[in-house]
Amino acid sequence: MTCANPIAWPTLVDYWAGDLNDAETAVVDEHLFGCADCTAASARVAAVAQALRSAIQSVVLRSTVERMRARGTRIRENGFAPGDRREVEFSAEAELLIHRLGGLDLTDAERVDLRVTAESTGALVAAVEDVPFDPTEGALFIACQRHYADLPHDTVMSVSIHPAGAAADAPPRTATYTILHRFP
Amino acid sequence: MEAPDAELVRAIAAQADDAPAAEAELCRRFAPRIRLYGLRHLRDEDRAADLVQAVLLALLQAARTGRIADPDRVDRFMLGTSRNVALRMRETDARSAGDAALAAIAAPDELLERIDAPALWRCMRALDDRARRVVMLSFNDDRAADEIAALLSISAVNVRVLRHRSIAALRRCLDAPKEVDA
Repeated sequence: MTCANPIAWPTLVDYWAGDLNDAETAVVDEHLFGCADCTAASARVAAVAQALRSAIQSVVLRSTVERMRARGTRIRENGFAPGDRREVEFSAEAELLIHRLGGLDLTDAERVDLRVTAESTGALVAAVEDVPFDPTEGALFIACQRHYADLPHDTVMSVSIHPAGAAADAPPRTATYTILHRFP
Repeated sequence: MEAPDAELVRAIAAQADDAPAAEAELCRRFAPRIRLYGLRHLRDEDRAADLVQAVLLALLQAARTGRIADPDRVDRFMLGTSRNVALRMRETDARSAGDAALAAIAAPDELLERIDAPALWRCMRALDDRARRVVMLSFNDDRAADEIAALLSISAVNVRVLRHRSIAALRRCLDAPKEVDA
């Protein structure tokens, strides 16, 4: 049987994003319970939504690291100071590497950006604006995941700290860290 | 041709020879719908699996004793029961006691496609920066469209359009056969 009045894809995406109001959500719920075709379409959106929900962002807060650790994720944490250039190995027993980019004064930061380039070629690997940070932490936490292995391994991580208030017009403070990854 | 839902409900109520098969078929049809409802409204895979068990159990008990008033609209019975059980689960933080047979039907892996992190990552890289931010803010940070619009200085309508196009692009990418390394 084919649904005569299928729920539109944008509506299903809004539904899974929680962006429909209660009445609209109830209409979708009711349709889905009576319609196998739309249930199948909804499941296709749901699978992507669930995968995105459980995805680990590339920059996380310490609280996220602690939560993952409490859940049993095998994490290896490496500390770096500004200007460091060091090799790290993504060893077989680790599920996740956390690069702690320390030595940062974040107390007056309004926004912090991260730019990652390849040391050997200068190619841009990633540019993340407005990364999550704790002003009292003095560090950013980079969640290096095993599937990053297909990116350049010789990474230069440049942190730009944009101050708030009177210093807002001043150029951002920067710090760089060179992390050479080995994926055995 | 598949038997209509109502026919299955009536076969269960009549406790005919084909009642066990009718029960299994009704559970097979509705388990994915209840599970999706649970995922959407309880936001937790374990609790969604619990919801499937609890609602199917209620369905079978009601069908066996002829308590489904309108077998032609068994979907409404399922939705109403799902709403009530989910509400109770939210209020009490309860987990169901469990039932082995129903647990097999509610097993998460069989009901929802699993997308692994490398596959998602591969497809996310094909999106542009703004599209990536919109989908991550929507689903990873649970931000509403209005909130994302303010953050990115675009309209909420734009956020929604970007989001549904991005999810469609991710879907196409995930469905495409993987390139095989030479």
